[in-house]
Amino acid sequence: MIVENTQTQMRKGVLEYCILSIIAKGEIYASDIIAELKSAQLLVVEGTLYPLLTRLKNNGLLSYNWVESTSGPPRKYYVLSDEGKKVLEQLDKTWQELAYAVKTSIGDRKVK
Amino acid sequence: MNKTIIININGIVFHIEEDAYEVLKNYMTDVKRHFLNSADSLEITTDIENRIAEMFNELLAHEGKQVIVEQDVNAVISQMGTVADFEKSEQDAEPGFSDNFYSNNNKRRLFRDPDDHLIAGVAAGIANYFDVQVVWIRLAFALTFLAGGTGLLLYIILWIVVPKAISRADKMAMKGEKLNLEGFKRNFEQELGSMHQNFSNFKQEARPFVYKARDFSGDLGHHLANFLTGFANLFLKLVGILILLACFGWLVFFIVALVAFLSVGHFMPFHDIPYELLRHHNANTIFISAFLVAIIPLVSIIMLVLKGIFHVGSINRSTGTTALAVWICAVGVFVFEVVGIVSEFRSHANVVETITLKPSKNNTYYISANELKYFTAGDSARLNIKSLSPNMKITDDEDNDFDTFNHRNIRLNIEIADSGQPSLTESYRARGAFYEAALANARDIKYNFKQLDTLLKFDQRFYGKTDEPCHDEEVELTLRLPKYAKVVIDHNIDRIANFNIHDCNELNKKEYDKVNTATFIMTDNGMQCKVDTLVTDTIIRKHLPIDSTKIKVK
Repeated sequence: MIVENTQTQMRKGVLEYCILSIIAKGEIYASDIIAELKSAQLLVVEGTLYPLLTRLKNNGLLSYNWVESTSGPPRKYYVLSDEGKKVLEQLDKTWQELAYAVKTSIGDRKVK
Repeated sequence: MNKTIIININGIVFHIEEDAYEVLKNYMTDVKRHFLNSADSLEITTDIENRIAEMFNELLAHEGKQVIVEQDVNAVISQMGTVADFEKSEQDAEPGFSDNFYSNNNKRRLFRDPDDHLIAGVAAGIANYFDVQVVWIRLAFALTFLAGGTGLLLYIILWIVVPKAISRADKMAMKGEKLNLEGFKRNFEQELGSMHQNFSNFKQEARPFVYKARDFSGDLGHHLANFLTGFANLFLKLVGILILLACFGWLVFFIVALVAFLSVGHFMPFHDIPYELLRHHNANTIFISAFLVAIIPLVSIIMLVLKGIFHVGSINRSTGTTALAVWICAVGVFVFEVVGIVSEFRSHANVVETITLKPSKNNTYYISANELKYFTAGDSARLNIKSLSPNMKITDDEDNDFDTFNHRNIRLNIEIADSGQPSLTESYRARGAFYEAALANARDIKYNFKQLDTLLKFDQRFYGKTDEPCHDEEVELTLRLPKYAKVVIDHNIDRIANFNIHDCNELNKKEYDKVNTATFIMTDNGMQCKVDTLVTDTIIRKHLPIDSTKIKVK
């Protein structure tokens, strides 16, 4: 239970950071985001992404453009807002600190 | 050939098979329900719908087909993730955020519980709503039913007003459970199956009260039928248990009987004729065939009852056929043997022999049973009986099986001799397959009777040919004695006597355990018990406080 809780806490922060990072690489479609997250083994199903994206958009970190699609209805392509870019920069910094902290903490201990 | 439905997702038209549509509809309903309390529910669900439409398009284009089938829908759902998946990742990502959803799910709704109902599930639904044990609600209803029937009215109103929990989601809402990941995975197909009902239920909920009331009568009939079916099932089970108990009882009886007959066949628990017959006439074959004849239907009944009423065990077809064949064979053997035995009894013969007796000088006859055992010359030599000391005697007793047959069917009558000449008539009767055989059997009977002056000694058994089975042989003895003869009959002849010795012994006022005889007088009307006046005195003396000397003087 404690392990699960810690894992949840760790993932919780990392997931948003990863989504912002992926979008930061350029305008991107939701299913492409999920593909990247899947390969990073963070999220497995697409449906979970939409509430997150909507929330990030509502917080002003993202915006989207409608793009006509050949295979269906128009697609939402997500981009980072200026606000989002600032947040990402802060998160980058935080992540560096965290990574350093974790690396230092682990030290010489072998991690499987 | 399958029916297809045309659906429109955000302006794009799809042909979808009916089954696939149900699955999709169900999925979307769950998704919408899941995001219901989210501020952006419309946006999120629209995103998901659009993405589904896109995936359908890709699938159709990729496989070059026109119609969406269930497989496609399942593939799309697995890519999109089920509600359970959403929850899991929400738990991971946004514990605080998703609390909203949980509180929504934890709120209980009042439904009628179709899984735990006696009548319509109202009590169970209320129990779920208040999270108490259903038995208390039922008890409360039962009490109010009794108290003027107000509870009944309340029950019926609730029955009409409260919707029935049909879908899984309803049932979970009813019990205040959040949508459960494992439950969903496990019951996904089951859930899909219930979708038809689910939709009809939505319609039902939307209908006005009047229509619900109309449905109520149908519902009532349904539940009444359920109740009666349940009652009938219970009754059937009780009957089944009774049948099983009876069958097991008989089973044990037959097994014990078979073992008894096969192992201790010479021991005779019953003195009936059929048993006597069976002693040497292919007895074991008959026992075993009779056992099979009885046991196979019993076992079949047990199996059928177990299978039919309790749904346990199964009857293998080949086993059944074998059992039937064995049973038919057993019946054949049994009938053959029984017919063979019965045919031995078809004819009847009677041989009569009259022996003239020496008259007694004082016209007194002592009648007694011969208590010594009879041995043939061969047996005497074999058993070395002559070497016994003269004081030692071998007595006859009922249950020894030295003789092959217990020929004890003897009856003794005593009548008046009209000529005044005492005589004994011995009538030998026997049966056989035909008259000659019956006659031979009758003639083979040997009965020993001895007259020692005034003492007439009767054997307690007769003898036949030892290597033949019994053929219902019997000996009827008629002793004729002159008028006014005094007949002193020993008590030991009681077993073969056709008249009552014991009562006369009482009448003689003799003490039974001290004097073993009864005294009769032969009259024109047959033998009459002699009342001994002298002994009467002793009885009076015994019972009345009269001085014995006075009686003597008298």
